[in-house]
Amino acid sequence: MFACIHGPDANRLADSFSPFVEMVDEKTAVFTVTQRQIRQAESLSYPVAVAATAEAAILAARNLPGYTFIPPGQEARVLGALSIDALPPDPELFETFHLWGIRSLDDLSRLPDDALASRLGARGLWLQRLARGVFERPLHPRLPAAVYEESADLEHPIKLREPLLFLIARFLHDLTARLKSQSLAAGAIHLTFNGKEKRRSLLPFPTRDVKLLLKLVEHSLERQPPGEPISKVHLELVPTEPRRVQHGLFTPAAPEPEKLELTLGKIRGLVGEKNVGYPELFDTYRPGLARPTGVLLPFRYFRPPLEARVTSERLWTRMFQGKILQIAGPWRSSGDWWRCSDGENANWNRDEYDLALSDGALYRIYLDRVPKKWFVEGVYD
Amino acid sequence: MAAAFPLGWRHVEPHQERDTLSATGRDFPRGRISEITGTRSSGRTSVLHALLAASTGQGEYAALVDTQDAFDACSAASAGVELSKLVWVRCGGNAENALRATDLLIQAGGFGVVALDLAEAAPAALNRIPPTAWFRFRRALESTPTILAVLADHPLAKSCSFMTIKMPPRRAVFTGSAPFLLLRDAG
Repeated sequence: MFACIHGPDANRLADSFSPFVEMVDEKTAVFTVTQRQIRQAESLSYPVAVAATAEAAILAARNLPGYTFIPPGQEARVLGALSIDALPPDPELFETFHLWGIRSLDDLSRLPDDALASRLGARGLWLQRLARGVFERPLHPRLPAAVYEESADLEHPIKLREPLLFLIARFLHDLTARLKSQSLAAGAIHLTFNGKEKRRSLLPFPTRDVKLLLKLVEHSLERQPPGEPISKVHLELVPTEPRRVQHGLFTPAAPEPEKLELTLGKIRGLVGEKNVGYPELFDTYRPGLARPTGVLLPFRYFRPPLEARVTSERLWTRMFQGKILQIAGPWRSSGDWWRCSDGENANWNRDEYDLALSDGALYRIYLDRVPKKWFVEGVYD
Repeated sequence: MAAAFPLGWRHVEPHQERDTLSATGRDFPRGRISEITGTRSSGRTSVLHALLAASTGQGEYAALVDTQDAFDACSAASAGVELSKLVWVRCGGNAENALRATDLLIQAGGFGVVALDLAEAAPAALNRIPPTAWFRFRRALESTPTILAVLADHPLAKSCSFMTIKMPPRRAVFTGSAPFLLLRDAG
């Protein structure tokens, strides 16, 4: 049986009956009760209703004074006298009910199911089942926010990676088991050493795979070893919904996410964190970052651009030199003038040229107009 | 087995067609090393972009190991490369790291194309690549659907390469009359 309390202290009173309480709104609490608790509920001063379904108990508690007990099968009779406005508001359907002359729940519950469904659809049928008090649904109890974290204070500081990983592996086993019991997965790992050295890594996909999580931690420790012996370890897994993938028979082969993440972790260790990823273009006019607006000639950059000396006939750089055969341009380009002149997002102001050199290659050069210097940006290829 | 056939008949091995990926009119065999070589502006990068576009266009994932940080995402996107399906590894001029990253990507599996861009790399660094590295790649690629495309100034993989595309030098095409020229094409 379900009980519903409607009043200012509903939350507190419901807690005295059951740890699993659903708060429908600030003043309405629903929970399951035993036969013994039903008698206790009678003594409450607030409107209380006990019924076989949660929705019937809610309707009765909200709209009937004092204590109401609805015997199973008698829901429509007890609730029938209530006004149609007691149901969850739906202006469009309520207007139709008004035109049909339906004023009470009893009027609605006596309408034939099929005819109502064909005219008002699933929503109308749902309201009718609420009016009859027979709509059954599971309780959605509020649960305290679970924190998935483990920590340990060590008597002897750990200096080696192996024993540290052994300790972290134990944490991960415990935490993933707790996540599994709640049908959750880890979306990020937060690792703190000695209360100050914090490492946060966002996982590309939710997982509960201890081996994978441990490997990721190991790669992180390899890339960036802790600065001092570890005497305090704190590990937190950020819970999220688990990944659900539908596999197809004819979908093209793709790298396994777990294996790919480990591989990219190893490559990041080789070439650096910022040098591995997916290229992305932006909504900007900045050279090299803008989305293409038409067909472009394939291009290769010299990063950083090669400083050059240019005359009307020749071009010299530290890598190559040659006679200028043909030249097209200039095309003036500038932007982000409000930014500083150094760094990744610096402003730019330049004149671009395409030139064919005597070595047979076709280069894009530009004159940076602020320092008045020539650069070779790259080669068309 | 020969006795099982009637007189005048002989056993013929069924023709096994190797799975390929077509780009710019060329068939790149899967599970093999293909080299694209040429000088600057010879069109080697456009062939690589076309290969990456063909692979990512089929829904496959591709990887580009960019030794010299030369990749231009803008022109690649213009050629049809789906950037969200391309893993880009920048090696900052370190050819040794590029080879190790390529090895890791091949071992990970699941990629349609792994492209190793060694063009413009320092000759000294290229000379230090042991021939066993290419044998190792060839062995790792066997029985996988991955194409290893090596872009370089000149052939490097030698006998380990199944196909070598040598791009001849091209001439730039400018339209208009001086001084108002406009670059139209690189050949």
